[in-house]
Amino acid sequence: MNIKTLLKLEIKNKFSNYSLNSAKSYFKLFATLVLLAGVVYGVYWVAELFFEMFDKAGMIYEALVMLLSAVFLFMCITGISSNIKVLYYKGDNEILMRYPVSGEEVFISKTLFLFINQTLITAIIVAPFLVAYAQVSGLGTAFYVTIPVPIVFLVLIPFFLSNILAIPIMQLTNKIRNKFALIIIGLAVLVTVLFAVYMVLFNSMVTFMNDKEFSVFDDKIVESVTNVCKYLIPMKYFADIMVGEELYIAYPVLIMLTGLTLIGTILVIVKLYPKTLLNNVEVEGSAFRHVTRNRVRPIFFTLLHKEFLQVFRSVNYSFQYFVLACAMPVMVYFCNNITIQLGQNQIGEQIALGMSLLVMLIFATVITSFAATSTSREGDNFYHTKVAPVSVHTQLAAKFVMYVIVSALANGVCALVLYLTKQFDLTTSAWLFAVSESCSIALTLISMRMDINRPYFNLSGEGEVVNNNASTTLSVAAGFAVALTEGILCMLLSYLADIKLAFTVQEYIIEFTGELMFYVCSGIAAALLLLSIFGYLFRLKHAYNKIAK
Amino acid sequence: MLEISHLYKKYMNSERFSVEDLNLSLRPGEIFGFLGQNGAGKSTTIKCLTGIYPFNSGKITICGYDIAKDPINAKLNMGYVPDNHSVYEKLTGREYVNYTADLYKVSKRDRDERFDRYVSQFKLTKAVDNQIKSYSHGMKQKICIIAALIHNPKLWVLDEPMMGLDHQSMVEILKRMDDHCAEGNTVFFSSHNLDLVAKICDRAAIIKDGKLQDVIDLHVKGNKETLEKTFCEITATEQDHINEMTLLRRN
Repeated sequence: MNIKTLLKLEIKNKFSNYSLNSAKSYFKLFATLVLLAGVVYGVYWVAELFFEMFDKAGMIYEALVMLLSAVFLFMCITGISSNIKVLYYKGDNEILMRYPVSGEEVFISKTLFLFINQTLITAIIVAPFLVAYAQVSGLGTAFYVTIPVPIVFLVLIPFFLSNILAIPIMQLTNKIRNKFALIIIGLAVLVTVLFAVYMVLFNSMVTFMNDKEFSVFDDKIVESVTNVCKYLIPMKYFADIMVGEELYIAYPVLIMLTGLTLIGTILVIVKLYPKTLLNNVEVEGSAFRHVTRNRVRPIFFTLLHKEFLQVFRSVNYSFQYFVLACAMPVMVYFCNNITIQLGQNQIGEQIALGMSLLVMLIFATVITSFAATSTSREGDNFYHTKVAPVSVHTQLAAKFVMYVIVSALANGVCALVLYLTKQFDLTTSAWLFAVSESCSIALTLISMRMDINRPYFNLSGEGEVVNNNASTTLSVAAGFAVALTEGILCMLLSYLADIKLAFTVQEYIIEFTGELMFYVCSGIAAALLLLSIFGYLFRLKHAYNKIAK
Repeated sequence: MLEISHLYKKYMNSERFSVEDLNLSLRPGEIFGFLGQNGAGKSTTIKCLTGIYPFNSGKITICGYDIAKDPINAKLNMGYVPDNHSVYEKLTGREYVNYTADLYKVSKRDRDERFDRYVSQFKLTKAVDNQIKSYSHGMKQKICIIAALIHNPKLWVLDEPMMGLDHQSMVEILKRMDDHCAEGNTVFFSSHNLDLVAKICDRAAIIKDGKLQDVIDLHVKGNKETLEKTFCEITATEQDHINEMTLLRRN
């Protein structure tokens, strides 16, 4: 009975946003389902292209193995992460421990919830891929009938495995959770590598889309991929079940693996779960010790220092901000390389600069949108900013300077990378930096002011912003609008300059030149900067003083 | 030290004034208690005088500086301890106090001397270099108090400082309040604890529905003993009177 009640509680918590008590709530649910259907169709479309690309090189089976391996790893990682969050770190553990329910009952209800969650996610992710595979490989009804079998194994094995691995991985993360620099570097490397892999694959798929007659893989790659796939155990057995190959090995191995991981999970529940749970209620609030001496800093630097520490000492904020800023140059390089290549093939070389500007501004937007929670992030400590004998302008200037330092470094390194990789000359790279940084500063000011006008002090127990607020969404939208305007104008004017378009207005001849493009784009950036400064400063003190937290 | 004259404060979307025509004058060297029921306007008044909330009309001066016109100088003379003990939990205790000391331009020598004194007085020596998020409720309150006192403010404002504290912590804070006033400074605090106010305050004000009802000199003979009765009489609602009459009649 307890298990049923606890499970219902978990499900209610998860879907608290979806109630069916009004027309609006029905519409919200309908919109979500439509969006989900759209995503599933999008995945199917990409998957079909992916399999066609590998099929052309005679590697459709290998593509299935690689894909299922990626899903298997993804399910293990997300499974471990959900396990740690739901079973060990969720705030309700502390509440549940007070009630007359046993550790086993809490574990089983939460595990059932995780299992339902994992099944739904796996089915939604894997089904469109498998249908696309059947479509491309021309397999018939027999294939569709076997689809649920690998899905069942793909749910069970990662699920049991993640139960076993959750405790050791949690112990490891507890040990490094306060090594902030290490976490930032590690995450930056991981994000960069994942992005690079994604971009290489994306490039191959777009190249294949342009000409489906030829394979994008040479013989050496085909050989290597085929060899690697032979050793992707147990993931290759999921594919074997689907295509009906080596079933006499695939089934026993997967059944045995399911059994072993299940036994491991039961042992973990019996031996370690209640102990770890009790221990974790204490560890959750664990903090570090940092012995320093009293140190006098000028007011501005002490504000800047505090702002930096508040972001640096939070894994969530660091990831949203510092990690993305660190990874931005690599992302811009890959994106730029590929988009320029694609654009040049489709339109011509003259759009390269516009493409680069567009890509840089899109990434800059992601970083600057962090400023849209600059005031909200103060949360319960907002009163400090009102009580402190320091003007509002100085306090906000310290936040602004931190954002500008980060955006200037990210944009600067991007421009330097573009110059060093000979994508552009020094002057053009410097111009790219100037325009991109001007727009970044403008977007930072716009984001900060939006947050001041309407802050959301909705923070979690750790004192961090739980959900991005409306200002963040607006800030991203504004950034994308600026990126598209600047990027498309730059491309269009470069193209018109290239075809030497000219026309006469009365007695004046207006001729499109390369200089005109530079002037227009620089002018827009400068105007945006000036407008944002004015908009930011306009009755700033009044707007800030109005905030009553 | 603190002068509040004709203070009016109305919240946005509210039809009534939360604080209405409030006048108060605090003298150097006194501990002043601010009493009232929940929602009477104590915290609103404190938030207005500390600069957290803007107010509709009236004047608040701290050591002669108008909080609306010259907020920086007014705030430099004031230390504030909030009711929710909110602090930057990602910082260590020492980092937090140093941050506050920097904002109040406290010299290195004064900072070192006061820091060591308060940390030892509040028994935080071992925890001061730990991240604040590991602190208990009482420890957070104590680090807030140290941060509020690090610039030796002339006016020390505390919003319900004893809430949820153990006896030992309360004794330490009361001792600090007494010492602070002995140095010629003023302490202004809100509380629900009538016994405590009667015991340590020189004067106490009672507020009801945003209006100041009475300022009681607790050195006048008999006032300490009758504070609770006076408070109940002043803050009693019509329903309380009806209940009392019913009880008397039935008896």
